[in-house]
Amino acid sequence: MIEILTNPNKFFEVKKEEEVSLKIPALIVLIIGIISGIGAYFMGGLTAEMLSGTLPPEAQAFLSFIPISTAITAVIVSFIIWVVFAAIFYGISCIFKGEGKFKRTLEFVGYGYIPMIISGIIGAIFIYNFVSTVHIPVVTDPAKMAEAFEPLLKSPMMQLSYAISILFMLWSANIWVFGLKHARNLTMKNALITVAIPVAVYVLWTIYQMGVM
Amino acid sequence: MRQTIPTFIFLLLFFFVIAVATSGVSVVSSVTGEQKSSVMITGYQVNPEVLMCNDIGTVTVTVKNMEPKTVNINEVQMLSQGIKVLSDSYFNPGSLGPGGALSLTFTIKATCPDGIYYPKVIVNGEGVQSIRYSFPVTVDSSPLIIGVKDVPEDIFRGERAKIELVVGNSRPNNVTAVKIVTEDKDVMPAEVFIGTLSADDSEVAAFYLTPQESGDCVLNFKLQFKNGDNYHYTDLSVPLNVTESKKSAELILTGIEVESMPGMNVYKITGDINNAGLEAANSVVMKVCDAEGIEAMQPYKAYFVGLLNADDFSSFELNVKIGGNETQVPLIIEYKDEDGILFSEHEYISIESTQGIASTGELPVPMIAVVIVIAIVVIGMIAYSWKKR
Repeated sequence: MIEILTNPNKFFEVKKEEEVSLKIPALIVLIIGIISGIGAYFMGGLTAEMLSGTLPPEAQAFLSFIPISTAITAVIVSFIIWVVFAAIFYGISCIFKGEGKFKRTLEFVGYGYIPMIISGIIGAIFIYNFVSTVHIPVVTDPAKMAEAFEPLLKSPMMQLSYAISILFMLWSANIWVFGLKHARNLTMKNALITVAIPVAVYVLWTIYQMGVM
Repeated sequence: MRQTIPTFIFLLLFFFVIAVATSGVSVVSSVTGEQKSSVMITGYQVNPEVLMCNDIGTVTVTVKNMEPKTVNINEVQMLSQGIKVLSDSYFNPGSLGPGGALSLTFTIKATCPDGIYYPKVIVNGEGVQSIRYSFPVTVDSSPLIIGVKDVPEDIFRGERAKIELVVGNSRPNNVTAVKIVTEDKDVMPAEVFIGTLSADDSEVAAFYLTPQESGDCVLNFKLQFKNGDNYHYTDLSVPLNVTESKKSAELILTGIEVESMPGMNVYKITGDINNAGLEAANSVVMKVCDAEGIEAMQPYKAYFVGLLNADDFSSFELNVKIGGNETQVPLIIEYKDEDGILFSEHEYISIESTQGIASTGELPVPMIAVVIVIAIVVIGMIAYSWKKR
């Protein structure tokens, strides 16, 4: 499995000869989903504490569901993003006359998620560190939640977390390039373009979120 | 002769009529004198003895049968021009046996100026000779007098000062339930009860003032007493000038640091408490004041400093949770002097307002180093994978 990180070209070359199996990719995405869910749980707890001032005492019990529901949502969203990324890659590769089943693309894109496990762990640690030392104001107006979260998104710790996630996303993109090359029988150049377009959009969006732009 | 006879007859008839009339009166008079009995007002009591203007009091009169037989009393009423009689007359109060007595009470109100008034009691009865009895009721509105007997020349902030007040009764009667009250929070006790104060008598009441602020101030006392069942009040204002003591303990906070703690708006307040006075402060305790949006938190809801000698200092720590948009934390510093008198001072610690989320943690250098290492590793891995291709 370590070969996917050091020599993804050879890894996918071998995998291409095997039957399509989504078990391991699904497990990888599930792990990422759980790690994201842990981070989302902390953020959900933060949101619940901020909203504690907006709800009457009898409705305070609902706040305890926010962290759990946020964590579950994060797990589900991880799978959705996996499928969406694979679909986008599949669609773009069609322009370059790519060949191969969508299931194979989905499988190889799933393998490409492995570096994100590390970034997910680091991100969860960053969020925990942030939430445990943060000053949490009680928001009296739910409409001001975004305003209250703005300093969080622009805090140095969170920007560092964004930078790390971009680095690992680039690593995953590198794996996806080789994966798409073999899954869709593309040239290196076409595979690079196929992956670069959505990843570039994602990276630019992340940088925008960081407030740099 | 013709004229003499009629004249004689006329005179004869005249004298006869006079004689008959005179004999008839004496009979009736004799009968009446035998039937009418004699009753007397044998005593009266006015309560209070001397009324003040607008006071309500009572008059109790005693009606006694002086005859050796029973008499019926039909009506006893009181009339007065100066004093207002509030109660109704007594109708058919009953029979009085030989030598029997009856006490009847009337309610009166002194709606008149000061002076002596003479209400009348009228007793009517069956077979009883009506009697009218006047008695004096005095109205004197002289109040009780309250004054300052002794006040220290210098009153210092935070130091106890004894203030003595004297209450004199210039009235001709006793007054009851005499007490002096004050609502000033710096004065102890809030109330001194004297009780009954006899006529021309005086009592001294002691209060202890521990002023918390310097400058001019006015202490307000209220003297309360009862004349009978009527409450009366007299106010006394004592102007004072409170100055700063030159020797007492003077507690100053320095080196204040406010640090956020994990959790919802919980702060740790640390610093030094210094005694810049010339006297020691005993049992120094620092607390977070109860206020809206401010909540003291464990483990340091309060901090016990203990003895703080002159020119000495001690560090302290307090934990507080801030709610809403509070920007100041009120602290109370309590200590006792050598006499055990409790003093308290208030201080306010400013907290930076955090409308949004803000972490006090600075970006650690090791974290940046880790990110750089990660970046190198990732770039290296990407480069390596391309090289392997």
